[in-house]
Amino acid sequence: MAITVKFLSAFQDLTQGKKIFFVDQDRLSKIIVDLERQIPGLKAKLLDQEGKIHPAYQVIHIKGDIQELCKSLDCPIGDGDEIVIIPLISGG
Amino acid sequence: MNGYQGKFLRVNLSDRKTYEEPVDEAFAKKYIGGVGFGIRWLYDELQKGDDPLSPKAPLIFATGPLASINFLGSTGISITVKSPLTGLVGDSDMRGRMGSSLKGCGYDALVIEGKSDQPVYLKISEGSCQILDGSQLWGKDIRQAQEAILSDSKNKNMLVTSIGVAGEKLVKYANINCELQFFAGRTGTGAVMGSKKLKAIVSGGNLKTSVADMEKVRRLMKEISSKIKTDGTCDTLSKYGTWNSTGPANLNGILPTKNFQTTTFSEISKIDGDAMLNTIYAGKRTCPGCPIGCRRVVKGETPYPFSTEFEGPQYETVASMGPLLLNGDPYAIGKANELCNLYGVDTISMGATIAFAMECFEKGVLTEKDLGFKLKWGDPEGIFKMIELISLREGLGDLLAEGVKKTSEKIGKGSEQWAMHVKGLEVPMHDPRGKKGMGLAYATSFKGADHESSMHDEAFQRENALTELGFTVLMDRKQYEGKSALVRSLQEYWGVMADAATICKFPMIPPRPLKPGLLVELLNAVTGWNFTVEDLLTTGERIFNLARMFNAREGMNRRDDQLPKRFEEALEEGGSRGESYPKKELERLLDEYYKIRGWTPDGIPTSETLKRLGLN
Repeated sequence: MAITVKFLSAFQDLTQGKKIFFVDQDRLSKIIVDLERQIPGLKAKLLDQEGKIHPAYQVIHIKGDIQELCKSLDCPIGDGDEIVIIPLISGG
Repeated sequence: MNGYQGKFLRVNLSDRKTYEEPVDEAFAKKYIGGVGFGIRWLYDELQKGDDPLSPKAPLIFATGPLASINFLGSTGISITVKSPLTGLVGDSDMRGRMGSSLKGCGYDALVIEGKSDQPVYLKISEGSCQILDGSQLWGKDIRQAQEAILSDSKNKNMLVTSIGVAGEKLVKYANINCELQFFAGRTGTGAVMGSKKLKAIVSGGNLKTSVADMEKVRRLMKEISSKIKTDGTCDTLSKYGTWNSTGPANLNGILPTKNFQTTTFSEISKIDGDAMLNTIYAGKRTCPGCPIGCRRVVKGETPYPFSTEFEGPQYETVASMGPLLLNGDPYAIGKANELCNLYGVDTISMGATIAFAMECFEKGVLTEKDLGFKLKWGDPEGIFKMIELISLREGLGDLLAEGVKKTSEKIGKGSEQWAMHVKGLEVPMHDPRGKKGMGLAYATSFKGADHESSMHDEAFQRENALTELGFTVLMDRKQYEGKSALVRSLQEYWGVMADAATICKFPMIPPRPLKPGLLVELLNAVTGWNFTVEDLLTTGERIFNLARMFNAREGMNRRDDQLPKRFEEALEEGGSRGESYPKKELERLLDEYYKIRGWTPDGIPTSETLKRLGLN
């Protein structure tokens, strides 16, 4: 399995400016564990105290032409899919 | 009366007289301040059909009770007019220090009426107001005007609020600025100021406003600030400012591109948050009493030089001068932002108007003969030229200065189809096809298409987003279900009450820490009142319904609560591919929404609703 993870206007301090990572997992929860190995400190910021996705961020799942919000860590991710981590939109 | 000075200043520029009038506690409790005061006075002082640019039309600057505590931008002010762009209620909040400055002079509000024969400016200090000759300021841009006033003033702590040349020329979307940094952008407040021949207001005073429980205020401010700094809710806003939204908006397919023809911009990587940090970013600024610091300092050099002294472009401006016009050059965006600031025009309406004109050229409705040059998508020089022509009302710019609604009605040829406005106010940079609640908010806002009238759908894509208002169930941004009740509550709480209290809206967006209960605690600690969250919402509902009644008196009803036709077309690409906003869905939402609000099927508040809200 090959999943592409992109960071868009988020966590660039932690990733040292790197925007694209690759992982080999089939659930969002496992992807985050894998990412933590590559980006130490990410998990503590991306997840809240209850272990859910921190409400200041959103995880978007892209599979082909379909794009949807990951609503839980159980979200299944397929081979070749893409994950994009973004901050909450503010406007202004 | 805690939180208030108990009086406001009325200035009549026709007879050059000033008056002090009382603000009593019953009135303050009923309307809080800011936009609440503004709409009440606007309703009382105008009659149906009055010209927004006539001497009779008031220009209202109103503070809120929180202006006395300098927290999260609460020192700002709300400016209310009858909008020359829409003919309906117009209002725009302006951060900065004008609110606290006016309080320091001893006033909760400033109401300006009449019209001077010659250009003037006001000088307001503790308990006094002078109407001074402004002839030497007329024709100056906002930087020159501020420099001229401050160089003449002995007191360098005086604060300058002014209009640019666009306001003098009555461009219908001219704005008002304070200290070159803060802008009341929307609905044409600057044109109303210009119509009175009032170039600037200089204010400064040191009078204190009493606070009921300062110890509690300090504790609450510390608690909220601590959460902002430590709980991760504002991290990206602090780092990127509102540029944090550009990339995600493109990803989600809500970034207006090529005059809303699409919502996916091929050059997004040149202007997203990281790109802006790597190009025009030169630092950040904070509003008074705010630990976030979302405002940007920007700098540009050849070929598009611009200085650091103005407020940098926020998301709305990046989008309206960028993707909306197919412009992927961050320096050109920065330059366009500076030009708009210098002339004193709203960047959203300006961008939307240029986009409209570009599409007219694309479709052959306007030609080089009409304008004097070829207007092409994405051409920075064309964008700058358009800003100048419109701001100075030169050539075709004179018509475009009326906004896209009136321009399209004048030139016809089907251009109404791509005139992107609601009730005459140009649509901001959030395509409602990808966020259905925002569409209903645009359609029902008393100002027209206003992105600050209701929180955005994205914040409610999780459980327990705002439990104090009863929003516990996750709602997808693309779903219609539940959005009527959501928008109704958010219009009252976030759209109106933040502007009545004159506090920044950003810390109030879930999951950020300024929740309804905390806002009420803060309000009570300042005023000594015993408001509840329910009281807060009822007050917001009262103000919202009063605005609706003002508009109804002007003849507005359900037929005006509509979205541009383009939103009925499905998006063909991007994160909201396949999404549209069919009229039948909007009509169904309106049925629900009017019912929840206690309005007739035609969108007019019933007598029972008005009575319940004390609006007999």
